[in-house]
Amino acid sequence: MEIFAQLILSGIALGMIYGLIAFGYQLTFATSGTLNFGQGEALMLGAMVGLTLVGHMNYWLMIPLVLVFGALQGVLVERLGVLPALKTKSEFGWIMTTISLAIIFKNVAENVWGHDDVTFPSPLPTAPLQFFGLRVLPMEILVVAGALAVMLAVEIFNRKSIYGKAVVATSNDRDAAGLMGINTGMVITFSYALSSMTAAFAGVLVAPLTLTGATMGAVLGLKAFAVAIIGGLNSGMGVIVGGLILGIAETTTGYYISTGYKDVPGLLLLLLVLAIKPAGMFGKSVIKKV
Amino acid sequence: MSAAKIISAILAIVLAALLPTIWPNPYYIHLMVVIGIYAILLLGLDIVVGYVGEVSLGHAALFGIGAYTVGVLNWQFGAHFLLTIPASIAVTALFGAILALPALRVNGPYLAMVTLAFGTIIQILINEMTFVTNGPLGLKIRKPVFFDYHVTGTDYYYIVLVALVATLFVVQRILKSHLGRAFEALHDSPIASDCMGVSVYGYKVYAFVLSAAIAGLAGGLFTYSEEYISPNTYNFELTILFLLAVIMGGRKTRSGSVLGAIIIVMLPNVLSDIELFRKIATGIAVVTVAYSVYALATRQRTLKQVALPVLATIALAVSGYMMDNITDHRLTIFGAMILFVVYYLPNGLMGFLRSIVQKYRPQWIHRHEVILEHGDKHHVWSVPDHPVTARGHLLEARNITMQFGGLKALNEVNLDIAKGSVHGLIGPNGSGKSTMMNVLTGIYKPAAGEIEFNRKHITGATPSSIAGEGIARTFQNVQLFGEMTAIENVLVGLHHTFKHSLIDVVFHTPRCKKEKNAAYLRAASLLQFVGLADLANEEARNLPYGKQRLLEIARALALNPSLLLLDEPAAGLTAPDIKELMAMINKVRGHGITVILIEHHMDVVMSICDKVTVLDFGQKIAEGTPAQVQSDEKVIEAYLGGSAAA
Repeated sequence: MEIFAQLILSGIALGMIYGLIAFGYQLTFATSGTLNFGQGEALMLGAMVGLTLVGHMNYWLMIPLVLVFGALQGVLVERLGVLPALKTKSEFGWIMTTISLAIIFKNVAENVWGHDDVTFPSPLPTAPLQFFGLRVLPMEILVVAGALAVMLAVEIFNRKSIYGKAVVATSNDRDAAGLMGINTGMVITFSYALSSMTAAFAGVLVAPLTLTGATMGAVLGLKAFAVAIIGGLNSGMGVIVGGLILGIAETTTGYYISTGYKDVPGLLLLLLVLAIKPAGMFGKSVIKKV
Repeated sequence: MSAAKIISAILAIVLAALLPTIWPNPYYIHLMVVIGIYAILLLGLDIVVGYVGEVSLGHAALFGIGAYTVGVLNWQFGAHFLLTIPASIAVTALFGAILALPALRVNGPYLAMVTLAFGTIIQILINEMTFVTNGPLGLKIRKPVFFDYHVTGTDYYYIVLVALVATLFVVQRILKSHLGRAFEALHDSPIASDCMGVSVYGYKVYAFVLSAAIAGLAGGLFTYSEEYISPNTYNFELTILFLLAVIMGGRKTRSGSVLGAIIIVMLPNVLSDIELFRKIATGIAVVTVAYSVYALATRQRTLKQVALPVLATIALAVSGYMMDNITDHRLTIFGAMILFVVYYLPNGLMGFLRSIVQKYRPQWIHRHEVILEHGDKHHVWSVPDHPVTARGHLLEARNITMQFGGLKALNEVNLDIAKGSVHGLIGPNGSGKSTMMNVLTGIYKPAAGEIEFNRKHITGATPSSIAGEGIARTFQNVQLFGEMTAIENVLVGLHHTFKHSLIDVVFHTPRCKKEKNAAYLRAASLLQFVGLADLANEEARNLPYGKQRLLEIARALALNPSLLLLDEPAAGLTAPDIKELMAMINKVRGHGITVILIEHHMDVVMSICDKVTVLDFGQKIAEGTPAQVQSDEKVIEAYLGGSAAA
């Protein structure tokens, strides 16, 4: 029982990272109906840039710089990959361009930082804390707190500020928002900047817990896909719960069956959710007007 | 197929058969075998990517499943080639179905996301399930043996060539049949496709399973070609290469798939030789600069338009000289190539060639099959697939409520349609008329209420099954298959008359030919009925608005409906056209088809309707004969506002 509780605790930290990346998918999907297939690479670039910066400064000072880098990277992806495809209304177009940008980023990272995985120095003590006999790493607490803080901040921004209203309006109806004088192109660019920023932030949060390297992003980005579908592409609550379910499913499968199979329940769950409730567990199915 | 096409196809096959004698080097023969195998897979992938318009990121994994089916059957049971290859097709098709059935239920990028995850999982499973697959160590397989004869590399080339030609033949036949037409229709207008009884979901799954089966064949052949398989071959990079090949060769062409296969097999060889790469990159840069200067001088392009490609190609050439090793940058080059193709060659190399030929020899390019069938009056009408058994009311809708958020677009509306009548449905804008149409045809699922049609409950049924029951419709905002010709549009409506199977399609059996000829005659007759016989081979999007509305009626009649729903058919028609339309509706009724008519032209409604229902704000406010409705105070109030008596 104690082992099980321990597995759940570790699953929570992992799940929050998945949730945070999936949240990034939602941000762009809401405004433009597109998502970045290179979200995992955005995370990886954030972690790699963070690693380079951490050699020169303190972890906490590095974070704002990584956020700025993430935002710029998001703008680049939107301008190069998504904007032209949106103009031609080609779903195939943006899927292919974001994928090709992703493999370019990964390849460039390999050539700049090398092929080997390295450890990221932890900013917090690495000795686990004890709660009722369960061990928790201070970094895991930071991951959960950081992920929740980002989602909360974006939610408050959307609800309280006039710019946030523009984002919400664009998500509801891009054409109508455009006619009301909202620069929807700008809003979409902004959503990509925000999305890559959260991914870069997720990168520096997760890096001290895992190994850092050019290939770290692909798997994380993929898991976040599963989370976004399981939870629903339009539900904020969905990504948190979906992330937790996937994280816990993974740690428990890894322990009770085999670490090799830890990614399998995620996909099965994904197919199951699509078969039963295609909009996701928390997603609203939208009635498409004719 | 024209004679020129058949001759060039035969020449191409003969040339391919002679290649091993021209290049007897085993290395080249092996390369050609791999090209053949990839071409088979790409022909299948193109059905999904080109025709149906979905993105699959799992074709490398499906390829791997095909390869491992052969490998495992051979390793565990020593099964023979003639058994393992069909098995790999069947197993891969099954996996395709498991993926497609859930993933295609929703619109959007779901298939891409699910297949991407699937690719990773398959690789993990092959690696982990050592007891079946021998895990990371891989499997060794020998080339097949027929009657004690060991097949050599050159023999195997011919086996693959036969498989490729067979696949080409089968895929070509399928895509030129009613199935291919269904794929194109659902890509063009999903909603119209569903309402014509061509289930979008069903045919997308069908296309994906077909594509998976072909990938399975390719995978199985690959195992015997390589004689060794290991899990890491079937990775994400291979999927990306396949997609690059499909779009670079040219979507929706068979030649594009073969060309794409040649490119991706040769590409790694080019990229392993830095000297060769430098020469090619410099060549591309020189050509691009020369073309840009020419285009600028003749003012075909602006400086802004040519700046990016010129800079990119120069950067490519320069980087070629700065790099000392190119394999490390391989993925960057793949990525850049995809970006280039998506932006500058959206129709691929074959599409590009086609556009050049079209410029100078437009008569050589046939984008559509030209159908010169002459229709006649005897073949316009046919009996409904489900005979009308209802007496009195053909359709009864009880207490229909449809809610959008807080707005009740329909509030407990009852609607009874008498058999054989023309029933008018009128009301001011926003009164819920079109919502009612959408509820009746299954596009909206009502929040409450029941619909009984021809003594069957159809509440909550899918649009395609409702269409199959015999309800056809036209759309207020025209929903034609714009890129298909007028007659092809009608043929989609006649999809339900094609009852023959895939086997019939492939072998062009008498049954297939008979149904096809009947459908062509019927389609031509229907076009003649609505007065579009001269425009049969014109693309629907090029027709004037009024003709598009008439074409929708012809397409709807093709469904052999017992109930026809016309949503503002007279909108955009001139006065003489409206007269013809009214005559047409009377003829439709004369043939026993019940009609529901939404219309704003009151003279039309009042002169041809037997009964009229008036909606306002989602409520039924009046019902009766045209004369009764016209004098109803509530109706006058709804239309003119205020009280008429005042």
